[in-house]
Amino acid sequence: MALNLYWIQAGGCGGDTMSFLSTERPDVAALMQAIGVNLLWHPSLSNISAPEQKQLLDSMAEGTTPLDVLVVEGSMVRGPAGTGMFDARGGRPRKDLVVALARRAHYVIALGTCASFGGMGVGGEIDATGLQFTRDKRGGLLGADFCAGSGLPVLNLAGCPCHHDVLGGTLMALLAGAELALDEFQRPLDWYGTMVHQGCTRNEYHEYRVEEETFGEKGCLFFHMGCQGPLTGGTCNKALWNQRSSKTRVGVPCFGCTNPEFPADQPFFSTRNIEGIPLALPKGVRRAHYMAYKDMAAAAAPERLKMRSTDV
Amino acid sequence: MSTRIIRDIPFNRVEGDLEVSIEYSDGRVSDAWSAGTLYRGFENLMKGRGALDGLVMTPRICGICSTTHLSAAARALDAIAGLTLPDNAVRVRNVALMTEHVQSDVRHAVLMYMADFAHPAHSSHPLYAEALRRYAPAAGSSVIDVVRETKRVLEVIAILGGQWPHSSFMVPGGIAFAPSQADVVQCQQIVGAYRSWYERRVLGCPIERWREVDSRAALDAWLAENPAHRDSEVGFLLRFGREAGLDAIGAGLNAFLSYGSLDLPGETAVLAPTRQLVAAGFARGTAVADFDTAHISEDVSHSWYRDRGTLHPAVGETEPYASGQQGQAYSWVKAPRYDGHAVETGPLAEGVINGQALFVDIVGAGQVSALTRQLARLTRPTTLLPAMQTWLQELLAAHGAPIIAGDGNVPDGEGAGLVQATRGALGHWVRIENGRIARYQVITPTAWNGSPRDARGLRGAWEQAVIGTPVADPDNPIEAGHVIRSFDPCLVCAVHSVRRR
Repeated sequence: MALNLYWIQAGGCGGDTMSFLSTERPDVAALMQAIGVNLLWHPSLSNISAPEQKQLLDSMAEGTTPLDVLVVEGSMVRGPAGTGMFDARGGRPRKDLVVALARRAHYVIALGTCASFGGMGVGGEIDATGLQFTRDKRGGLLGADFCAGSGLPVLNLAGCPCHHDVLGGTLMALLAGAELALDEFQRPLDWYGTMVHQGCTRNEYHEYRVEEETFGEKGCLFFHMGCQGPLTGGTCNKALWNQRSSKTRVGVPCFGCTNPEFPADQPFFSTRNIEGIPLALPKGVRRAHYMAYKDMAAAAAPERLKMRSTDV
Repeated sequence: MSTRIIRDIPFNRVEGDLEVSIEYSDGRVSDAWSAGTLYRGFENLMKGRGALDGLVMTPRICGICSTTHLSAAARALDAIAGLTLPDNAVRVRNVALMTEHVQSDVRHAVLMYMADFAHPAHSSHPLYAEALRRYAPAAGSSVIDVVRETKRVLEVIAILGGQWPHSSFMVPGGIAFAPSQADVVQCQQIVGAYRSWYERRVLGCPIERWREVDSRAALDAWLAENPAHRDSEVGFLLRFGREAGLDAIGAGLNAFLSYGSLDLPGETAVLAPTRQLVAAGFARGTAVADFDTAHISEDVSHSWYRDRGTLHPAVGETEPYASGQQGQAYSWVKAPRYDGHAVETGPLAEGVINGQALFVDIVGAGQVSALTRQLARLTRPTTLLPAMQTWLQELLAAHGAPIIAGDGNVPDGEGAGLVQATRGALGHWVRIENGRIARYQVITPTAWNGSPRDARGLRGAWEQAVIGTPVADPDNPIEAGHVIRSFDPCLVCAVHSVRRR
């Protein structure tokens, strides 16, 4: 069975497409062939003409061409004043086209944090929203009760960008009939059920509270440098990026880009502290416990960590 | 000014981010209006954020050019802090940026440009069957090859910077972490393998042989020399393009701009005429003048912004003022001008300004075309890959040397970060006050190339270049698409037709 897939880009940067091109197991071409994706349209890859595309859209609207998978990349732009005209297509707001296509689709996939939760531009002049959430609030463009033809809500493949292996993995799972377990923000647990902190090569420095306050060192980035790894679900340090590494491995803090609140209002590269302990603790941890544990851990830190002689 | 931010991203897709209206007379394009139709408000999102936040926010302006935006953002902060980077930081930043360029040049050419050669509108072209085999979307042999190889070379950015796209490893004064020797050796292996593939499949010859191609005659001789040259992507581009007439359309403004890019480390074996591998300059034809940032201004007379006159980006405003279809405004792109001139920027501009003999010869003869622009792009890696290898070798030799100057903080002040993105001149203009961003203005390459008219009625680069293009089917003006896409807006553009009554 072939899957008809239509890919639409709205208020975004195209980064999820660029990321997806790095999908590895299998790669893009093999994925398309292996699971029989019929790519009806992708804005960067397709070469059909504007009239041909219009025919395609009409035939999907009439139901003549079934739309199995709708992939949406980028935020839904509602500004100015609710018109959506900051993101127009042929003189009409693009968000209207997204609504029309979503009603016809068997599966709707929000690819990236902008499409999932609004991302860049929520609360700004463009009044961005996600497909079924605005930040962590249910609703979004399609409404809290929206279900695609399959009965599933929008699948939020969050991340800025979404990790390159997640879309392919999701499509293969859907085609195989797997029932993907979702978290409270409709992200599949298979890719968002681990914390970015897990697998970080600086874990030992975190464990013994050996902290950094500037760039270029090997210690933990959580206490001062704004790292969100212990608060963020994602596969960055498990599947790795581009088969090789992750931001935290090269001294760049996790910015929490899979979270509904991304980008947070607070400055990046800094951690808000109370008495040297971050205001936001690792997910689910209680402050009193954490303070006691970290004090003891710091006291137990071995010299090799204090001296930064253990590599990351 | 800022506006452009928004759009050049949008330009990479089709869905209507770039909509060009075309007027035809006697089977040819007689006028054109290029409209960016997506406003994302990035510059205004930046105001009030932390001083370093441009390093995280601005890569998200463009998924295709995220490393380049990071470079510009970091350079602006380096300038504000008055920091001189250690040589190894310069090398790492350069290699990462060049990696983005060498993958994008090839991806654009094969996935997004030559994809049009596989459209049935070319079905009577004698090379159509081969074009279809090579470039059919998501299936052609070259497409599969290029996806695989460009994905591999991007591993270099992940090794040096954590991930691609959207990392933030360039920080004020340098980079966030020193790659290990093992990391650098891996990068060397990846770049070496990419170069070898590029020479075999894209060029059809060693880079050294390509560098001997210094004139139009030498190009013809190269093409005739052997089947490897003719069967390469460059060879096929030339053969298909000439037969399709791409060498006779898309001449453009004959005015070129480069901000200059890729600073040389203090000590390096890489040779360049200036302290940058890619020279800065402004050229009218082949006459190159020094580049002066004071000559940059932005005009919003035809853009959907409140008009406060023509302003330098350091003082520019981005105040959306939607006026829909009425009036003379038709785009979210602003109109940047250099000393009052509309200009073209990108690989061809770099070639001319850097004095590359082949492109100086073509431009000097007045023979710029869509094909020239695409040739400049697809062969630009010949100028980048050898320097990447040298800098990686130097990085290995200087292992353990500093990778950052300063303490990572940035004082209040103003600065600009100018670089050459894959698609041309990119600038960030930043002001920090009380430790927060007070102003952030961005001018992207696509703002230069895809500019609307200015107050004097001067068209932007591709608006001008597309005029005179013969079009067989006004409902599918694929020829106009070839011209506009030769500027690498990296989109499949939605072209609407207006017939002269």
